[in-house]
Amino acid sequence: MKILLIEDDPETAVYVANGLKEHGHTIDHALNGRDGLFLAAGEFYDVMIVDRMLPGLDGIAIVKTIRGAGIMTPVLFLTTLDGIDDRVEGLEVGGDDYLTKPFAFAELLARVNALGRRPPIATVETTLRVADLEMDLLKRKVVRAGRRIDLQPQEFKLLEYLMRHAGRIVTRTMLLENVWDFHFDPQTNVVETHISHIRSKIDRGFGVELIHTVRGFGYCLRAPE
Amino acid sequence: MRPNRIFRTTGFRLAAIYLGLFGLSVLILLGVIYWITSDALRQQLSVTIEREVAALVEDHQSGGPSYMAAAIEQRLASGQHPTTFYLLLGSDGRKIAGNLPSLSPRDGWQELSIPRRGNDAGGDSEDSDERQFLGLGTVLPDRAFLLVGEDTFRLVEVQEAIIRAFGWAFGVMVLLGAIGGGLLSLGFLRRIDAINRTSRAIMEGRLADRVPTRGTDDELDRLARNLNEMLDQVQALMESLRQVSNEIAHDLRTPLSHLRQRLEGVRREARCMEDYEGVVDQAVADTDAILKTFTALLRIAQIEAGTRKTAFSTVDLSSVFQSIADAYAVVAEDRGQTFATSIEPNVSVWGDRDLLMQMLANLVENAIRHTPEGTQINFSLKFGNEGPIGIIADSGPGIPAEAREKVFQRFFRLERSRGIAGNGLGLSLVAAVADIHGFAITLADNEPGLMVRLDFAPGACG
Repeated sequence: MKILLIEDDPETAVYVANGLKEHGHTIDHALNGRDGLFLAAGEFYDVMIVDRMLPGLDGIAIVKTIRGAGIMTPVLFLTTLDGIDDRVEGLEVGGDDYLTKPFAFAELLARVNALGRRPPIATVETTLRVADLEMDLLKRKVVRAGRRIDLQPQEFKLLEYLMRHAGRIVTRTMLLENVWDFHFDPQTNVVETHISHIRSKIDRGFGVELIHTVRGFGYCLRAPE
Repeated sequence: MRPNRIFRTTGFRLAAIYLGLFGLSVLILLGVIYWITSDALRQQLSVTIEREVAALVEDHQSGGPSYMAAAIEQRLASGQHPTTFYLLLGSDGRKIAGNLPSLSPRDGWQELSIPRRGNDAGGDSEDSDERQFLGLGTVLPDRAFLLVGEDTFRLVEVQEAIIRAFGWAFGVMVLLGAIGGGLLSLGFLRRIDAINRTSRAIMEGRLADRVPTRGTDDELDRLARNLNEMLDQVQALMESLRQVSNEIAHDLRTPLSHLRQRLEGVRREARCMEDYEGVVDQAVADTDAILKTFTALLRIAQIEAGTRKTAFSTVDLSSVFQSIADAYAVVAEDRGQTFATSIEPNVSVWGDRDLLMQMLANLVENAIRHTPEGTQINFSLKFGNEGPIGIIADSGPGIPAEAREKVFQRFFRLERSRGIAGNGLGLSLVAAVADIHGFAITLADNEPGLMVRLDFAPGACG
């Protein structure tokens, strides 16, 4: 993917850019808001990573401007400020995701991948399918290899998120934010517990496992190769 | 205290302005009294003179000049009017009678003075060598001239008495005013100096010093009391800040020194790449734990600052309780605990959804993490008499009564919790969230176990 990184802290920028390059992405880096806006408006990118606090023009203003110009490239905000106020403000001006510094690189990568391969908003899917696992979103029905699987509402939500991001790593934090609406780090293994529950329902007894644990980072639902 | 400082005080300046205005009004009063008195006395003199003239002119009409002259002489001789002067000049200009030297005849009122003649009658004014008098000259029909005068020494005397009296009064007033102003300023300066000394002392580090008060409840005393209260608050804030910084320093030093030991250890002892990798992974995890503590501290500080209040809205409390129950029931059951929920629908509250979620999550996690297998956990939301009430109760070991206040302090952990991961900030955050929402939290004995009761009453609208 072609990614634009607007970040004024050189150390963070190098850390992010090198990591993303290692994973096969092309990175353009701008050190300040003006250059960043210039690049964002002039070139095509799959994802933009924008620091909120920038010299000259801040991240919020950049995203407001490019959204105003009709550029709908997914935007991931980075910030050192934490707190929900900032998150809400970032999402309101048209940001798509939000990550607080310091962050683990795996977290950033997972989020960038999730943003980059988002299906166009217009397409409304009614059925999700990964290998022999099928989810009917209208009838709220899950079937694997022809066998009906009963899920609790929370388990359905979790599986839906995993299936929508099939083949990609989703981190624990992404699940907490999107499935449980938790914007904090719980002290108990909420995610692990629920994952093990749906695993026992959709994977046990089917021979091939679909939910894979990525140690230390999160999970990945993918079809066997 | 240098005298010029006294003159520069507000008290002294006010006293001086007051004194000036008062002096001015006294001067005006003096002028008016002087003028009215003089006028009245002069009027009286004129009336006396006019009557005398009229009487003499009548004498002249009835008896002719000689009769009038005789009347004048008789009056002079009688000694009954020692302050009255007469002069009668004949039509040829010669003096016929009277006790005044010859003068050129002039009609009408005139101020005259004549040289003093020895020990005169009514002579209080011996210091002056002239006698002042007020005279009325009349030219008679036969061209003769009559002048009757009255000595004005009484008038002058009264005028002088008024001026003297006012002079004294004025002098005493200025003196008293200056002394009063000085004393006032001195007292004021003393007390202001006490305040200044105290503030200096505090700036120099004697934080416990306080401004002396006199218990008089005047404005300076009230100022001093307010300053003292402010200083008490500042001191309390500084104490708590110092305590928090100490706690932070202490609580973060332990994980940081562990991290350092691990890194140093691997440098000394590592034999292969795996050793290094293991320790680096561990170091990253340690760093994450430290960052987590920092984030928690910052979050508590942010919540305590209260800026989130502006973003408050109506929150569906029932759905918040339900989300928490959905997330944690499974976690509790996997640990062999029973998690019972009873949630009243359609309860809402004024607040911040994310914060309420975190508050309830922290409380439920405490109930799950600090209790053994087999514990019964009850999580409920219901309507009480005064509003919605949330209960998180467990049948675990509970919190001893004497520690129930302390658990809300930053970094406080019960001795038996030391083995359980955590930073001792969970309940501090709960307290901060409850505080900005105006909720009341009560910790009670669940016999056995702990019961946390949340009263949402003040913000309730469901």
